[in-house]
Amino acid sequence: MREAVALAGATVTELVGDRADDWDLAGELPRDVLRKLAEAGLLAAQIPARYGGPGWNSTDSGEFTAEVGSLCGSLRSVMTAQGMAAWTIERLGDPAQATRLLPRLVSGDTAAVAFSEEQAGSDLSAMTTSVTVDGSALTLTGRKTWVTAACYADFLLVVARMGAEGAVVVVPRTAPGVQVHRIGDPLGCRAAGHAHVWLDEVRLPLDHLLGGGRQPLPLLVTTALAYGRMSVAWGCVGMLRACLAAAVEHAGSRRQFGRPLGDHQLVARHVADLWAGEQIATRACEHASRCWDADADDLGAAVVLAKYVSAQHAAAGAAAAVQVLASAGTRDGHVVARAYRDAKLMEIIEGSSEMCQLMLAGHALSRR
Amino acid sequence: MTTSSDRTAPDAVQTDLVQFLTRRTGKDWTADDDVFGSGGLSSLHAMELVVHLERTFGVSIRGGDLQKENFRTVQRMSELVERLQTAGDGGTGA
Ligand SMILES: Cc1cc2nc3c(=O)[nH]c(=O)nc-3n(C[C@H](O)[C@H](O)[C@H](O)COP(=O)(O)OP(=O)(O)OC[C@H]3O[C@@H](n4cnc5c(N)ncnc54)[C@H](O)[C@@H]3O)c2cc1C
Repeated sequence: MREAVALAGATVTELVGDRADDWDLAGELPRDVLRKLAEAGLLAAQIPARYGGPGWNSTDSGEFTAEVGSLCGSLRSVMTAQGMAAWTIERLGDPAQATRLLPRLVSGDTAAVAFSEEQAGSDLSAMTTSVTVDGSALTLTGRKTWVTAACYADFLLVVARMGAEGAVVVVPRTAPGVQVHRIGDPLGCRAAGHAHVWLDEVRLPLDHLLGGGRQPLPLLVTTALAYGRMSVAWGCVGMLRACLAAAVEHAGSRRQFGRPLGDHQLVARHVADLWAGEQIATRACEHASRCWDADADDLGAAVVLAKYVSAQHAAAGAAAAVQVLASAGTRDGHVVARAYRDAKLMEIIEGSSEMCQLMLAGHALSRR
Repeated sequence: MTTSSDRTAPDAVQTDLVQFLTRRTGKDWTADDDVFGSGGLSSLHAMELVVHLERTFGVSIRGGDLQKENFRTVQRMSELVERLQTAGDGGTGA
């Protein structure tokens, strides 16, 4: 790992300290922590240097994401949102928009990305939020659900229909017609600032439409999600590492029936599976990051594979860790209890495990 | 494979794209078929298509160039590649 990445890891470890448990219980991240990380460019470390960002490649950024993920799933979720917003702006925005918006994301501002709607979850083609253009202004109307980090965000990227195609609109949180309704009781990533976002005839200047809009909706969605999937996958690696460390520590120190728990084969098997899961997820993520950094042809499949494998192993690994720690890990807020709840959500978001299976099957079948 | 200073003959671009689409979808393609219509590319392959175009023809497709009009058919995509290669630095933005 490069020196800058190690340094950033130390910075975030110190910033989080032992507070992640409290943040989970309170359901909120301290604003100063988010601001400090955002100002250092560490919420979206792949923003290129020409926009003032750290300009890390996917592999380095991934290792850092895992580090944050091992400390606090909520903070890592906010990073995922910020990075996805940055990548979407970089890819879909025109040069003037990138020059205007990306420096904000490395100097303290935060952003969130809104795709999902009540009737459009896995099936984003059912979305009804729409943007229309008249003269020099656009009008955006619709309701988005479960937008990670919306409670903290200075601006939102809202995915909408634009006639028969798609579009992404940059919406300042304070624009007239925008309402952010916090979701108070999420199962996991409890401090990630999830919210429903209502957009009521929000009128904005035309330059708030990334790249002028009218991109194919599937292209726009996969582009944004590709970054989100990488970030979630590496975050799952982090959860697995935290769970492995907790399980190893406990199995080595706690004694029952006159010996350490790890000397009982059934407990040892949990440890073996956790370690295997962490290794498998790491390799899948490393491969996907290499594909990302090389712009490889089959990047799409590598990214979905990494997300699918990592989320599944994180959910299974977190459950195993809770089993090994037993009563010692069943307090809300405890690292393995958090991972148990947080990891389950990783099988749902950014393409559920089932949607990943369908995509991977489609990929395999098309190679006949 | 070309560099950004080279121009690829439009025919060669079309042949390459038809091959790419055939490999990805397992069906035959013509230069005028609707790429994102029914039986067309899945969303997983949509991004691969952009990456493929960028890598194979040494262009950068960002901003306004990602509009659907430019991707509707193989014919349109070959026009996009030609325009971006002529622009030289890859990508005109919007
Ligand atoms: C913690 C959290 C954070 C989120 N953050 C964001 C965010 O930042 N931005 C945003 O836009 N959205 C966000 N979401 C929404 C998330 O993207 C959706 O929940 C997800 O896409 C699934 O949609 P759904 O919940 O409507 O489930 P549904 O689509 O209703 O699916 C229900 C179940 O059916 C399965 N299913 C659906 N269709 C098929 C099929 N064709 N074949 C097989 N199985 C199928 C699904 O896999 C799932 O198991 C978040 C959600 C959560 C829980």
